[in-house]
Amino acid sequence: MSTPLLEVTNVSKHFLGLKAVDGVSLSVQKGEIVSIIGPNGAGKTTFFNLLTGQLEPTAGEVKLRGQVINRLAPHDRARQGMGRTFQIAKPLIALNALENVMIGAFMRHRSMSVATDKAMTVLERVGLAHLARRRAGDLTLSERRRLEVARAMALEPEIVLLDEVMAGLNQSEVGNAIELLQGLHADGLTFLIIEHNLKVVRAFSERVVVLDRGRWIGEGTADEILTSPAVIKAYLGEGHMGVQSKQTTEVNA
Amino acid sequence: MNKIDTNHEPVIESGKSVWLKYLGGMALAFLPLLLLIEDPHWLNIIAFTYLMAGLASSWNIIGGFGGQFSLGHGVFFGIGAYMTAKLYITLGWSPWGIMLMAAALAALVSVLISWPTFRLRGPFFAIATLAFNEVAFVIANHFDSVTGGPRGLMIPFKAGFQNMIFKERWQYALLMFAFVALVIAISIGVRRSRLGYYLLAVREDEDSARASGIHVLQVKLQGMALSAALTAIGGTLFTMYLRFIDPPTLFNLQEVGVKFALLSLIGGVGTIAGPLLGAALIVPFENFLRAELANALPGVNLAVLGLLMVLAALFMKRGIVGAYEDLMKHWRHKKGQS
Amino acid sequence: MDQFLNVLVFGLLLGGIYGLVSIGLNLIFGVVRIVNFAQGELVMFGMYGCYWAYVQLGMNPYLSVLVVAPLVGLLGVAIQRLVIQPLHNESNMQIFATFGLLMMFQNIMLAMSRGEAFSIGGTMGAEVLSVGDLKISVVRLVTLVATTLITIGLHVFLRQTMMGKAIRAVTQDKRAARVMGINVEKTFLITFGIGAALAGMAGALLTPIYSITPGVGGNFIMAAFAVVVLGGLGSVWGAYFGGLIVGVVEAFAGYYIDPALKSAVWFLIFLVVLIVRPAGLMGQVGAEEVGFREQN
Repeated sequence: MSTPLLEVTNVSKHFLGLKAVDGVSLSVQKGEIVSIIGPNGAGKTTFFNLLTGQLEPTAGEVKLRGQVINRLAPHDRARQGMGRTFQIAKPLIALNALENVMIGAFMRHRSMSVATDKAMTVLERVGLAHLARRRAGDLTLSERRRLEVARAMALEPEIVLLDEVMAGLNQSEVGNAIELLQGLHADGLTFLIIEHNLKVVRAFSERVVVLDRGRWIGEGTADEILTSPAVIKAYLGEGHMGVQSKQTTEVNA
Repeated sequence: MNKIDTNHEPVIESGKSVWLKYLGGMALAFLPLLLLIEDPHWLNIIAFTYLMAGLASSWNIIGGFGGQFSLGHGVFFGIGAYMTAKLYITLGWSPWGIMLMAAALAALVSVLISWPTFRLRGPFFAIATLAFNEVAFVIANHFDSVTGGPRGLMIPFKAGFQNMIFKERWQYALLMFAFVALVIAISIGVRRSRLGYYLLAVREDEDSARASGIHVLQVKLQGMALSAALTAIGGTLFTMYLRFIDPPTLFNLQEVGVKFALLSLIGGVGTIAGPLLGAALIVPFENFLRAELANALPGVNLAVLGLLMVLAALFMKRGIVGAYEDLMKHWRHKKGQS
Repeated sequence: MDQFLNVLVFGLLLGGIYGLVSIGLNLIFGVVRIVNFAQGELVMFGMYGCYWAYVQLGMNPYLSVLVVAPLVGLLGVAIQRLVIQPLHNESNMQIFATFGLLMMFQNIMLAMSRGEAFSIGGTMGAEVLSVGDLKISVVRLVTLVATTLITIGLHVFLRQTMMGKAIRAVTQDKRAARVMGINVEKTFLITFGIGAALAGMAGALLTPIYSITPGVGGNFIMAAFAVVVLGGLGSVWGAYFGGLIVGVVEAFAGYYIDPALKSAVWFLIFLVVLIVRPAGLMGQVGAEEVGFREQN
C-alpha cells in the first residue's frame, strides 16, 4: 500500500482535563472519499482543526504525504495542498463572489489578472459563474456553500476537508451538491468530510469513520457502519439511524 | 433558470474606470484650493484638511482595510516630526531626504512594536497601541537633548524648496494636496492588489484567511509598515509647515492619534474616499467650533467630536460613504419597482 | 533601608488607589467583555460630584460617596443600555464608542469648569501618620482600607447573592447562563451599573488626595488597564492584588529610576503579562478572550 495522502496517528487534544479528541487514528489514500460521522460533541470539528493547523495536538502525529506537519502553520498547510471549509462560512459579504474566490486563487497566483481568470474558472466549475458579480452577502445558503467550496478549490488543493457543507440545505440542493462533489472527485480530488446527513454519507463515501466523545469507535464502508450496533448505540437519543434528521445539525460538533 | 450572464460590465471595476474616478475626485478636492487661493485664513484650513485627510487615509490602510484599530499612529507621526526637525536643525539636511528616512524608520518601528501586539484581540490591541503612544510622549519629554523635551523644537524660517519652507501659504496647501493625492493613489493601488484583498480577508475572519493560505501576521505587518511610513511623511510635512513641534502637539491622543481613526470612521472606514470626506467635513467644522466657542467653552470642539464618534459608531458605522451607498441602493430599488 | 520601607508603603497605598479604580473596570470586562475606555471619566465624575457636595452642601467626602456612587452607577446603566448594548458584537465600534464617551465627558467637564482645577485636600489631605520612621498619609490609608473592604464586599456579593451568582455565571459562559434562564442583558446592565458606581466611589474617596481636573481620569486609566490585565480579567481579588503590585512597582521605579517613567511601567507590565501569561494572576477569563494565539 502506498503512502497515504493524509495520515493521522493517535492524535489527541486535551483542554484542561477535557479530552476533546482522544487517540484518533485515520488515514486517507489519494483519491479516496472518507466521511467522519458522530453525535454532537464528538470532537469532529476539533479534529479538523488539528488537521488544518488551527490547533496543535497534545499528542500524536499528523502526516501529509508522509511528512509530519504537526508544527506547520495553517497557511503553509494550505500551500501544501490542504483545502478546507468551515461550518459557519465567513465570506467577505461586501465583495462579490468572484473576489471571494480570488482570495483563494491569490495563494498560487500573485497577479490580479491571473488570479481573476483562475477564480472565474473555479466559479464555472462549481456552477456559480452567473453569480460572479453578485455580492456574497446576497447569495442564498446553498450558493454560499458553493462559494465556500469554490474558495477552497481556488487553492488548487489535493485534499479538501469539508465541515458539514450540507447543513441546512433542502433535498434538491443536497442532490445538486452531491453531484458537484462527485464531479470534483472525478477530477482527481481527495475528500475528507464531516457529515450529519446520512443520505450524503451513503451517496458520497467510500469509507466512514465514526467518532464519539473524541474517540474513534468504528470504521468501514457506509453500509457496514450504518448498520453497526455500536454505532447505532452511540447515536441513541439522537433519533433513529438512517433517517435524515434535521435536529442533529448543531453548531458544536 | 436562466444562467447566462447578460451584464457586460467587468466583474471587477476596471483600472481605467477607477483611476478616472480618482482624477475626478482629486480635481474636485483641488477646487477649494483654487477658489480660496487669495484667502490666507482659509488656505490654512484647507492645508490642514488635506494633511489630515492624508494621515487618515494612511491609517485607513491598516485600520480600515485590515481592521486593526491602532490608536497609536501618533508614534509614527512623531517619528516623522522629530527626525525632520532634529536633522534639519542640527545637520542642515534637506527635509525631502529626511522624509524618506523617517518613513523607513517608522516602518521599521511599526513592525517591531506590532509584532508582539498583533496577537492581541481588538480592544487589547487598541490599548497596547495607545500605551505605545503614551510611552512615546514620555520618551519625547525625557530625552530633551535630542527632542528639546517639553520646550520642543523650533525651526527658523528660511524659505527655499530644498528646505521645504515656503513663503506663500498656497504653496504649503499645494504640498499637502500632493500628500493626500499620493496616499489615496497608494490606497487604491493596495486595495486593487493581492495585499489589499488579503487585508480585507484578515479583517473579516483570521481563521478563514489562514485556511486560504494567507500568512496573517505577515499581511498585518505589511499593511502596518506601509501605513506607518505614510504617517511619518505626514509628520514631516506637518513639522515644516508649523515649524514648531513639542510632545503635547504630536502625541495628544484626542487631537492626533485617535483623530486619524475618527476621520476615517466618519467618512467611511475601509473605503477609499472615506478618510478624505471625513476630513473635509470635520476639520473645517472643528476649526469653526474652536474659533467661535473655545474661548467661552474650552474643549467644546473635542466634546462635539466625541459625540460624533459615539453617534457614528452607533448609527453610521459605514460613514458618509456607507450612507451614500445605502441611499443609492434604496433609490435604485425604488426605480426598479416603478 | 528605611527609605525602602517608605517607598514600599507608598507603593502599597498607591496600589490601593489603583485597585479601587480597576475593580469596576475589571468587573465590567469580565461580564460584558468590553473594555470601557471611559472608566477614568466615571472616576472623574465621582470626584466632581463629591467636590460639589462638599462645596455646596458641606458634605464630608466620605459621606457623599453614598450619594455620588449611585448616581454614577445610573450613568453606567445608561451607557450600557444606550451605547454598549446596541454594539454588542462589534468590538471595533465599541472601541470608538467608549473612546468617544471619554472625549465627551472630559471635554464637557472642561467646558463647564473653564479649565479651573479644584481641590479639597487642604488640611485633610495633609494629615500624616508617623510610625517610627514611616510617614503614612492618612487619606491614602483610608483609601486602602476602603478598597480592601469594597473588595471583600464585592466578593461576598458575588458568592452569596442571587445577582452575584448570575454575574459569575455570565462571566464563565454567557450561552450556558442564558440557557439556565439568566437574563443576560439585565445582568449586563446591572454589572455596568455596579462597575460605574465603583468608579464613582473611587472618585469620591480620591477627592482628598488628587486635585480635581477634567483630565484626572487619564492618570488612572492606563494603570487600570495594566492592573486588570495583571490581576486577571474578571477576578475581583486579581484587581486588588494586581493594583498593589502595580503600585509597588511604580513606586520603586519612580524612586530608584525616574518618576516620569510611570506610564512606561504600566505599559511594560501590560505587554509582558499579555505575552507571557495572558490569563493574568487569577484570571477567570481564558487566554482566547484576550486574543493570545499561535502567531502565524
